Amino acid sequence: MTTESRRDIFQAIADPTRRKIIDLVSRQPLNLGAIADHFDISRPAVSQQIKILGECGLITIKKEGRETICTIRPNELKKIADWAARYQGLWMDRIDSFEEYVNVLHAKNSKKHGRSK
Amino acid sequence: MADPNDLSKRILTISKVLHAPVKTVWEAWTSPDHLMKWWAPKGMAVTIIKHDFKVGGTWKYVMPMPDGSEFVSEGVYSEIVPFKKIVTSADFRPMTEGVVLQVLFEAAGDDTHFTFSVIHPTEEYCRQQEKMGFYNGWGSAFTRLEALVTSGAA
Repeated sequence: MTTESRRDIFQAIADPTRRKIIDLVSRQPLNLGAIADHFDISRPAVSQQIKILGECGLITIKKEGRETICTIRPNELKKIADWAARYQGLWMDRIDSFEEYVNVLHAKNSKKHGRSK
Repeated sequence: MADPNDLSKRILTISKVLHAPVKTVWEAWTSPDHLMKWWAPKGMAVTIIKHDFKVGGTWKYVMPMPDGSEFVSEGVYSEIVPFKKIVTSADFRPMTEGVVLQVLFEAAGDDTHFTFSVIHPTEEYCRQQEKMGFYNGWGSAFTRLEALVTSGAA
């Protein structure tokens, strides 16, 4: 297996378990145990996903005594939302252009056919 | 089974009441002569390479980008109900591949209820997208995060 070491935020959200972790820690900082409680998979497996999220820069992982606290980095996650918004914006703009064009076309047609009803 | 009404499977739905009869709206959406006037963002041109408007027919539009690259949109029509519905697969390169566009037209007197959706239709597709590193079904996390960021808590 090739080790794809290029971590980025989109890789972070590419996995359902990681998305669920993001969902959990976006509410409040949580320790590893509290996160693992939400999953059927083993704690080391959850830990592995958290490590990836850390590498992707989406969460910070801090040791506090015996606890491992995970905190979301909102600005990083926002980059994903921004990406989606840009995509959405493109369609909004396109449909707006379409509406404008329909209005122009309608005006033209109405003229052509006289006062059509 | 994927429920096509499950909003999490949809990236986007835009609904509008257009103030023109459905025939005009349909024409504006489906005729290449009209389409090339609104498809491209303002200031950009679109070239219609193919526009085979029938079930199983392909369409392909190309927009030259300012940096010399090309933005290609293409797909295959899977359903056409005249003056009511168009369903087509769509690839947008480089951006989003393998989505389905669904366009609904509903006559309402002299107006037309128009609904446009970009859909990720199947679980299988979602898994495939996941493998590609894309994400769909933007979760509620974003809404909360957005609030967090704008409140300056970051």
